Amino acid sequence: MNEAAATLEEVPRDAGLAFDQLYRSNRDDVYAYAAGLLRDRAAAEDVTAAAFERAYRNRRRFDPGRGSARAWLFAIARNAALDELRRRGRQASLVTEPLDLADPAAVQAVEQSERRLLLAKALEDLTARERELVVLKFFAGLSNAEIARVLGISESNAGTKLHRAVTKLREACDGAT
Amino acid sequence: MEPHREIDLVTELRALRPTPEPTFVAELDARAAAGFPRKDGGTSVRDRIASWFARVPRRRLPAVAGAAATVAIAVATAVVAISEDGSVMRTALQLDAGPRPDQPAVSRSADESGVQYSETPPTVRSLRRRIQPRGGPSHSRSSAAKAADEATATPLSFSASGPYAARAARRDVERSARIVLATEASGIRSATAQVFETVHGYDGIVMRSSVRDGSAGAAGAVFDLLIPSGKLGDALAAFSEIAEVRSRSEATLDVTAPTIGLEERLRDARATVEGLLAQLAGAETSAERESIEAELRAERRRLASLRSQLAAMQRRTHFSRVSLRIESGAAATGGGRWGVDDALDDAGRILTVAAGVTLIGLAILAPLALIGLLAWFTQRRWVRSRRERALT
Repeated sequence: MNEAAATLEEVPRDAGLAFDQLYRSNRDDVYAYAAGLLRDRAAAEDVTAAAFERAYRNRRRFDPGRGSARAWLFAIARNAALDELRRRGRQASLVTEPLDLADPAAVQAVEQSERRLLLAKALEDLTARERELVVLKFFAGLSNAEIARVLGISESNAGTKLHRAVTKLREACDGAT
Repeated sequence: MEPHREIDLVTELRALRPTPEPTFVAELDARAAAGFPRKDGGTSVRDRIASWFARVPRRRLPAVAGAAATVAIAVATAVVAISEDGSVMRTALQLDAGPRPDQPAVSRSADESGVQYSETPPTVRSLRRRIQPRGGPSHSRSSAAKAADEATATPLSFSASGPYAARAARRDVERSARIVLATEASGIRSATAQVFETVHGYDGIVMRSSVRDGSAGAAGAVFDLLIPSGKLGDALAAFSEIAEVRSRSEATLDVTAPTIGLEERLRDARATVEGLLAQLAGAETSAERESIEAELRAERRRLASLRSQLAAMQRRTHFSRVSLRIESGAAATGGGRWGVDDALDDAGRILTVAAGVTLIGLAILAPLALIGLLAWFTQRRWVRSRRERALT
């Protein structure tokens, strides 16, 4: 899912080249995270673009001593996503789209698999914080340490919360069948 | 949790992972390749400043701030040093008394009531030291002293505005001067004799004198003198030749307005007396005559008083008060060329003033910086809190 770990420390040395690598290896992950959290393709695209733009403009301020470039990038993406959520809260006219997690092929797959449909429903029923954890882990492919860094919590806390969210998902799926 | 079920869940979750539209990906790739150009151009000053700050790594911000502070302190120190050197004072003096490039830093500044004292002993002393080699108790006349004398002899110019502007060409000015000389303890008597000689030479008056013998520091002399104002400059020049000038200052007080007032009142009183005399000549009854005579006596008394006041005022302008002190001590024998001690003194003074300027700057900036820091911290916390609330 990502080979960004190899390029993390390169950001300050050769910011242009390293940022390009960071962008290439994380573009889809950032989009998946934003789409999973916001449940809105257009908003996810805006957030993804805004996150990379912010990261690009602030690339020289990245400090490798404070975490990986990937965690730094996702922290920026998270801020952009939360800003988008706040804007939605202020603007009543903005209507959240119905669940639209997958591309057409995935939708077709969901239709083919009742379990996946149930899983998508269960994912939607999670709280926003739980859904964010699941999305960061399974959509964006972050490690527990990176999730902890992005959310500003300890790694063990991140693991515990993630475990609870997954358990909740599984129970929801099992309960429905 | 069964391992195979967990694996299934993870697999199915990953299968739900959204993927971006190819058109969006292409557009974003193009923007990334172009370095994310701003859509609105973004060339305002604010954007440029923000962009500059964004380019500076956070770790280097303290170094940048330190460099800026150092430059600010250096500029402040330079300004202070230039001011201390007397350039500013000279400029003020030139504005007041005309351009005199060789003038020592004896500053005078006129205000409404006259001129204030402004003593600058180190500068005068430094001037003397630089120009004049150290001599004995009876120093030969130095160019510094001459320059100081010229400054004294230069008539002050006054603003030609106000109700008495018509008399701007001839102002009535009361002058006074203070001069402190330094010599060795053994030279006090000799210097005192020269002071008396000089006073008499310039038709002056010794109002008070006091001479004290003793060791260095204890020995000294004090004089209160009246010197004809027209000869004040020359007299001060002569005093400056007697011994090393430790400090010298002058003051003037413009008494034109009160003098004119007295003159006008005197004219009025004279006119009144003349009028009364005319009335007396025409008086027909003895009662009328007595009444006019009584009035005339009172008016003549008033006239005499005004004459006396005017004479006193004129004496004040004709004679200048000079306070002269002769000191003895280490500083008196420390004259000579400008040396390492003087350099250290000057450096210490400049550094002290620079430290003061820095301290004042910090006193002003520190609370502002603290408020700014608190505002920034609060704003960050508030934004973070609002973002987190968006998830609930």
